[in-house]
Amino acid sequence: MHSYLWFVGKRILQLLAVIFCGVSATFLVTHLSPIDPVEQVLGRLSARSNLSPEAIASTRAALTELYGTGQPIVTQYFNFWMRLLRGDLGPSLLAFPTPSMELVARALPWTLGLLTTSTLITFIIGNLFGALAGYNPDNRFFQAFGIVAIAVQPIPYYVVAFILLVIFGFLWPVLPISGGFAMDVRPGLTLTYIGSILQHSILPALSLVLVGFGGWFLGMRALVSNIVNDDYVTYAELGGVSRRTIVDAYVIRNAMVPQLTALAMALGGVFSGTVITEQVFNYPGIGSLLIDGVNYGDYSLVLAVSTVSITAVALAIFIVDLLHPLLDPRVRTE
Amino acid sequence: MDRRSFMMGTAVSALLLASKGLAFAQEAEGVAPDLAQFPRNETVIVHNPEGIIRNPGWFNPWVVGAGNGTSNGLHQLTTDTLWLIDPDAGVAGASENAIYNSLADDLWQYNEDFTEMTVKLKQGITWSDGVDFTADDVVYTVEKQKATPGTPFNGAFTAQVASVEATDPYTVHFKLNASNSRFHTLFSVRWTGAWIMPKHVFEKVEDILSFDNNPPVSLGPYTLHSFDPNGTWYIWEKRADWEKTALGMVGEPKPRFIIYRNNMSPDNRLIEMRNGNLDMVHDLTPEATFSVVAQDPQIKGWFPGFPYAHPDPTLVMAIFNHQNPKFQDKRVRWALTLMLDARAMSMASYRGAATLSAISVPPTGTHPRDYHGPLQEFLTNYEIDTGTSKVKPYDPDIGLQIAEMVRPQFGEAVPSDETAIRNAFGYGWWKQNIPAAEELLTAAGFTKNGNQWMQPDGQPFTFSVMVPTDGVVNRLGSIIAQTWAQNGVQAEVEAASDTWDRQRVGNYEVNIAWAVETWGGHPDLSFFLDSYHSAYVVEPGASQPDRNWMRWKDPRLDEIIEKIRGIDFNDPKGIEYGTDFVKLHLEEMPNIPIMAYNVFSLQSTRYWTGWPNAENNYANPVTNWSNGRYIFTQITPAAGA
Repeated sequence: MHSYLWFVGKRILQLLAVIFCGVSATFLVTHLSPIDPVEQVLGRLSARSNLSPEAIASTRAALTELYGTGQPIVTQYFNFWMRLLRGDLGPSLLAFPTPSMELVARALPWTLGLLTTSTLITFIIGNLFGALAGYNPDNRFFQAFGIVAIAVQPIPYYVVAFILLVIFGFLWPVLPISGGFAMDVRPGLTLTYIGSILQHSILPALSLVLVGFGGWFLGMRALVSNIVNDDYVTYAELGGVSRRTIVDAYVIRNAMVPQLTALAMALGGVFSGTVITEQVFNYPGIGSLLIDGVNYGDYSLVLAVSTVSITAVALAIFIVDLLHPLLDPRVRTE
Repeated sequence: MDRRSFMMGTAVSALLLASKGLAFAQEAEGVAPDLAQFPRNETVIVHNPEGIIRNPGWFNPWVVGAGNGTSNGLHQLTTDTLWLIDPDAGVAGASENAIYNSLADDLWQYNEDFTEMTVKLKQGITWSDGVDFTADDVVYTVEKQKATPGTPFNGAFTAQVASVEATDPYTVHFKLNASNSRFHTLFSVRWTGAWIMPKHVFEKVEDILSFDNNPPVSLGPYTLHSFDPNGTWYIWEKRADWEKTALGMVGEPKPRFIIYRNNMSPDNRLIEMRNGNLDMVHDLTPEATFSVVAQDPQIKGWFPGFPYAHPDPTLVMAIFNHQNPKFQDKRVRWALTLMLDARAMSMASYRGAATLSAISVPPTGTHPRDYHGPLQEFLTNYEIDTGTSKVKPYDPDIGLQIAEMVRPQFGEAVPSDETAIRNAFGYGWWKQNIPAAEELLTAAGFTKNGNQWMQPDGQPFTFSVMVPTDGVVNRLGSIIAQTWAQNGVQAEVEAASDTWDRQRVGNYEVNIAWAVETWGGHPDLSFFLDSYHSAYVVEPGASQPDRNWMRWKDPRLDEIIEKIRGIDFNDPKGIEYGTDFVKLHLEEMPNIPIMAYNVFSLQSTRYWTGWPNAENNYANPVTNWSNGRYIFTQITPAAGA
């Protein structure tokens, strides 16, 4: 137990170091961006008005002062960490003076809801069928399933999404193709609202599942194909252990260890969002929020999204590290 | 607890947390409509080209960069100011020379030297909460923004207004810091303008920069009904007292509800229009437009047939950086012009659906009447001395040629009447004349080595052509660079995501963009031309005020600008001075005017009819312009809708 606590302590230090380095690197990259948020605002303001050059210059000076973009980068970096330690990532510059975290908090649940669900569905279908295909290599159904998985996996995601959009939005318009929920539904913890969310998430989720399950399927099939030839599986079969027990307890459980690691990484990556899904289906989420932040030079918002994403990925790895010795006794903490 | 139960419990808890978060994210703005309240004969659904509105509950347009929606109905249906100028002809009887007196009862009245302006306001207008609109609101708008950095007109009012006072409840008097015959244009909407603030609301607010103004008190005939907390739709409802608004005094807005939907991908909006879930689309790609109008006869564009698109009063051009020595000789600029092929540019960018302009005024609104038409004879006889020969470069029939090129594909959709063709495809452009271009380059000291033109200093003539990453302007820049390269000039396309920033600081060699925007319905050119004065041209690397991106300086240009500054907006001499500008521009060719920024705005007649179009050009149909408000007074429900 003592060695495990020491192991946990080391991993916590690593976690903090990863977050610090990742966030600092993001700060540097965003502040070295040639996109100036003040110029972005000025561009939107002056492009459609006939403001005189004097008025534009005056507005530029006022916004630079207001946004604090004129400060030296070291001062901004110091102020950033001071604010972050208080849980404040500063005002968004594309929605000034709304706090950046407010924008993230508004978009994040949509991304989490969609991607967590679709990732889990993809994981379950891919691994279940992959394991059965690996254990039953001569079964024609699983052979056909494998061909489909190999055929679908390389299709670019946007092509699959577009095909679904055309089929279910135009040719056979039975599913909503836009937004997170219907205009005639009141948000709240009601069955109608949840039903509307589920209905609107079918196409985005289906597109993600179609493209995503192949990877899990092929990976699991390959893992199981190796495990079924191991001595302990042969021994169990010779010993008369039922096929179901062999598949469930001996084969899949052993093959799942690397897959669970990959799942944890995938779930951590959920916080980065899916830009194309959000664009094609006009679905709310954090991916397009990040793109907007980059395009508008809103480094405050980019930092907020990145900090959440970096922390999530680092935490996912941290949790996997902690669970690994518990899941797989062969892994030691020392 | 065993291991399996622990893992299942963890997964279920995570999902519950996620779903709880989803509900929490929405609960701040909970007013959702029942669609049964929106019968289609009372409801217009409009596509708003904005992306996701990041600050959806913010309705205070008097803060810069607050992340709120603008063309989500807020600036079309709830705001107002003194005058509006239509990019097209304006509603007959309600406007004159495309100018609407909106909150103003009459046109601006300046003193002799344009240092003071007096405005008479309409009486009988009320805010949506029943409070009268008066001169105090106008005074407050100016004084509050002048005193508050971070408001959109802080810079303009600080620079230009010495004082403002209400001499009576319906008269405002401005004293200006300097003579300014175009001061009224701050309160004249082209796309937007200085919207008047409700004094009785904002004077109670301590910090207007952090005030969301939700729900907004409206000066227009609609108020907020509901909106999407994720920032993708807004619904507005007609006020019971709509007649107490400036728009209501033009005519009754017919729709009871107007829904603006934004963040719609091109495929999405195409499908939604075909499915009857959109009445107005801001724009589509040329190809999508040709497809949808062929499939659905109820969907209409600006022109009844090809090219369908509405020409915006914005002129796409090849902009040379005059602070780059490569482009400081006008013979070089003209040579590059004569290398281009208008037909190829039209086909590559808009599949032929372009409206060409050889002069530095967009071929849209009333400009063909004021500039393009009257200048045809001058252009036809215009002569260039190449140093070796004299050529007449203008081809008045290029529009007709392009019409013939697209006729095999689009058949009867292409107009056959010559006037209709000129209006749709443009009056004419420069003939591609490679020998003349080569003579001009030779006269400028260039030499040809094989198929490569060398500069006078012996270096190859190479440069980059900056274009946006996609869209028709990207396609246009690509064909331009390709044409120059084919003729011995090593021009390379540079697709950039930050073209706006780079053109502002002059970080480009040739830029495909626009440096000319006009009122459209009015011949005055000050909207863009005033900023061309040499006093505003900055050093390389510094930020250049909008629109003289080429940083062109010429004392003759300054003289024209100063003459325009010395006359009233409506003075007929404005066209004369504008024509002088066009001629000077032709002589110098500081940039190459090419075509109007055509926007494929479409309307469906399934539920509503009476949309503006080229034959009944009372308004600009492009949905994000606030002038589009007048459309709602002219449309009527379709029979049987």
